[in-house]
Amino acid sequence: MSTQTSNVSIKKEEVNGVPFPPIPNGSSNMETNSNDNQSNAENDNEEQQQQPQIKQESNGNELPTTQALDLDSTANQINSLKLNEGQVLPEQPDVKIINRQINGYVGFANLPKQWHRRSIKNGFTLNLLCVGKNGIGKTTLINSLFNENFDMKDNNGIIPEKPLDLATEDENGNDIDEGLHSNVKIETMTRTIEENGVRLRLTIVDTPGFGDAIDNSNAWEPIVKEINSRYDQYLDAENKINRNLNDDNRIHACLYFIEPTAHWLKPIDLEFCSMIHEKCNLIPVIAKSDILTDEEILIFKERINKQFLERNIQTFKPPVYRLDDKETIDVATKLYESLPYAVVGSNDFVKDPSNPEHTIRGREYPWGIIEVENENHSDFMLLRDLLIEQYLEELHERTNNVLYEHYRSEKLVNLGIKQDNSVFKEFDPNMRQEEEKKLHEAKLSKLEAEMKNVFQLKVSEKEKKLQKSETELFARHKEMKDKLTKQLKALEEKKHQLEMSIQSQAQSSPAQPKKKGFLR
Amino acid sequence: MTTHSVGIANLPNQRYKIVSEKGGTFTIMVCGESGLGKTTFINTLFQTTLKHVDPLQRRHLPLKKTVDIDLTRAILEEKNFKMRVNVIDTPGFGDNVNNNKAWQTLVDFIDDQHDSFMRQEQQPYRDTKFDLRVHVVLYFIKPTGHGLKPLDIETMKKISSRANLIPVIAKSDTLTMQELQIFKSRIRQVIEAQEIHIFTPPLDFDTTKDSTTEDENAMSTQDATAAEHARQLIEAMPFAIIGSTTKYDNGQGTQVVARKYPWGLVEVENDNHCDFRKLRSMLLRTYLLDLITTTQDLHYETYRRLRLESSNGTDDETNNGNGDSSMPLKAPARKLSHNPKYKEEENALKKYFTDQVKAEEQRFRQWEQNIVNERIRLNGDLEDIQTKVKKLEEQVRSLQLKKR
Repeated sequence: MSTQTSNVSIKKEEVNGVPFPPIPNGSSNMETNSNDNQSNAENDNEEQQQQPQIKQESNGNELPTTQALDLDSTANQINSLKLNEGQVLPEQPDVKIINRQINGYVGFANLPKQWHRRSIKNGFTLNLLCVGKNGIGKTTLINSLFNENFDMKDNNGIIPEKPLDLATEDENGNDIDEGLHSNVKIETMTRTIEENGVRLRLTIVDTPGFGDAIDNSNAWEPIVKEINSRYDQYLDAENKINRNLNDDNRIHACLYFIEPTAHWLKPIDLEFCSMIHEKCNLIPVIAKSDILTDEEILIFKERINKQFLERNIQTFKPPVYRLDDKETIDVATKLYESLPYAVVGSNDFVKDPSNPEHTIRGREYPWGIIEVENENHSDFMLLRDLLIEQYLEELHERTNNVLYEHYRSEKLVNLGIKQDNSVFKEFDPNMRQEEEKKLHEAKLSKLEAEMKNVFQLKVSEKEKKLQKSETELFARHKEMKDKLTKQLKALEEKKHQLEMSIQSQAQSSPAQPKKKGFLR
Repeated sequence: MTTHSVGIANLPNQRYKIVSEKGGTFTIMVCGESGLGKTTFINTLFQTTLKHVDPLQRRHLPLKKTVDIDLTRAILEEKNFKMRVNVIDTPGFGDNVNNNKAWQTLVDFIDDQHDSFMRQEQQPYRDTKFDLRVHVVLYFIKPTGHGLKPLDIETMKKISSRANLIPVIAKSDTLTMQELQIFKSRIRQVIEAQEIHIFTPPLDFDTTKDSTTEDENAMSTQDATAAEHARQLIEAMPFAIIGSTTKYDNGQGTQVVARKYPWGLVEVENDNHCDFRKLRSMLLRTYLLDLITTTQDLHYETYRRLRLESSNGTDDETNNGNGDSSMPLKAPARKLSHNPKYKEEENALKKYFTDQVKAEEQRFRQWEQNIVNERIRLNGDLEDIQTKVKKLEEQVRSLQLKKR
């Protein structure tokens, strides 16, 4: 079923022929421009008019469509998670994209080679989460896989990442609080492994105590917490002003150890896997499979896959690419279909039956030798192919592009951050100029309004003030004038009266003036 | 059957495959006065006509006031590897009489792209991002043989603080070998003196590693070769280039891209004739990845830091110490570009209001004067009455005396 999905997206890629995300519409309008043909005969001069314009009416342009056209390595895997609902691209400007095949040697095709070189210089990292019951052979398998000698008992030569108080117990569960309730611890060990000059920084995140208690409900909790806190740490680093994203502590894969019961998955297995499969790349293995016959393994695998399907649990699926040849595709398909891998690990080396000079990793029984690296004996080599040799970097890619993005989107949305889709736009100089113009005009009119406001306010204030002093002036003048006029009138009246009385006095007694003269 | 290999040696090949599948994006900006062969160079570099040389009539049109942006997008496929190539040209740069701030358009464009990417990166959902961040700016220097003009220096300074800058001497077939050497060393001196940071290939190859196995031996020889190549490139800077898309017979039966003169053939891909091959190595064949990662890790991060610092006004500690470090920092409002026309309009508006204010002030002064005059007049009026009153009082007093 899932192979089908990837086929579909490949087809779409071929139809569109354009592997880049900025072309969100499949119905591109192609035009051949012939005026280029004479210029350079050796080139395939095909010019296309890409019109990735999204009509608003068709509205349903949510990302699943876009994603199918996206050649990003995540494209094949993304269908299951549907984490793009939040991104809806706005209407895009008409953008002309020239499509050309180049026959000469220009040299940009060296970019993968440059990456190859750079990756050797930078080194690689793998943070591997191991979950399974005590004594199921986690350490042995890890040691067999990486040809290492991790010893989870005494942390010999291993730098513990966590403070010691968290790492108090050992793999065999001695001295642990084997109480009623689950008591899962997180232990971390880091080593750098080098092979032919290529360095891998391997961190094993072990979870002793998982599934060992009587009541194992919520046993997954501390593990999910650990995965989340590693995502949070990365998210914080990404949001910093001064950021450095070179340290990647996110879990890239989870090896889940299934007990070789040959029956069914237990509720705790299903519970855990369904809690975790959208948080990290899930790689289930049937541990210690040497106690099961081939037929038993086949039946067990079938049952497990059926149970996974019922619970909709997704295991890690190697992506298939446009450029892959049939052989590569077959390998990828086989790797996916053989999950969960029935594996055997061994810390011991035994004599190679075919070449007694050599020793090999294996387990010797009276009835024969199980060779760890023999494809006929177990799926060990498949696991190594998937986890290291063929798809380690794909585990990274999916963790970074799909799983982490999913976690981040959810987290940010829950924090109340609103998606602003208007920022996802092809740059168009003319449109930018328009935008600028609008912004400028808005700024200008705002400025104008502000200045006008201030201006009018100031003017009317001043006007009022002047008017007030004017009125006051007139009022005071009037008051004074009235007062004076009144006074004047009173005086005139008085004067008149006086004149009158003097006149009449003068008539009656003329001696009066003498008296006056005397006083003078 | 004893294998001690666990498959780690194959990891670089996985990376190779992933990159091959994803393809790449490369955005190149060419900058320089018109007529220096920018368009031809782009076409020569990519061996295809990406841009058409400006039709001649356009060159005769009156020059525009401001430089603008010309964007060419292409998806090129070479050996099954797909590359999104964006070419940004700035027609009209430096063509005006007054080229004050001619670099502003370039700088605005580079900042704008960083800004846009930052905003996209901050969204909760961001699977599809549009990225036009400029990976390299080629600055075309006119082959005068003298030195750099103030505009060259100013522009290169502005660009080099925000993008990978590679200066090139355009149309170098106008300079003799000797002239070119002198010109190059002059330019290098100025670049050094003015502290312009040009892009140089990295020299930090791991040559100290003790090589025990054959593989490692081979690898360190490879490193040594790479270091030597890098040194040669650095010594040849600024690269002298000529551009042509026409092929001629080089006299030995091979068709080569060249310019033909009566006195000889100038071959583009001949190291004795020009530095085209070196520049191509720098841009594509050897250091393309370095250009891309420097843009991301240095220039983009610098822009982001400065923008976020200026808006959040606090350092990392206080900002992320509040327990809400999962919140993306708020990006400040988008900057308006420094379009001189806009500035002019703004100034005009301000001037208009200043004039208005002046006119009003004049009116108010007049008004105040009128009030003062009026007050004087009214005071005079009152004084008149007062005089009359006084006179009357006098008369009344004398009358009263008379009466007695």
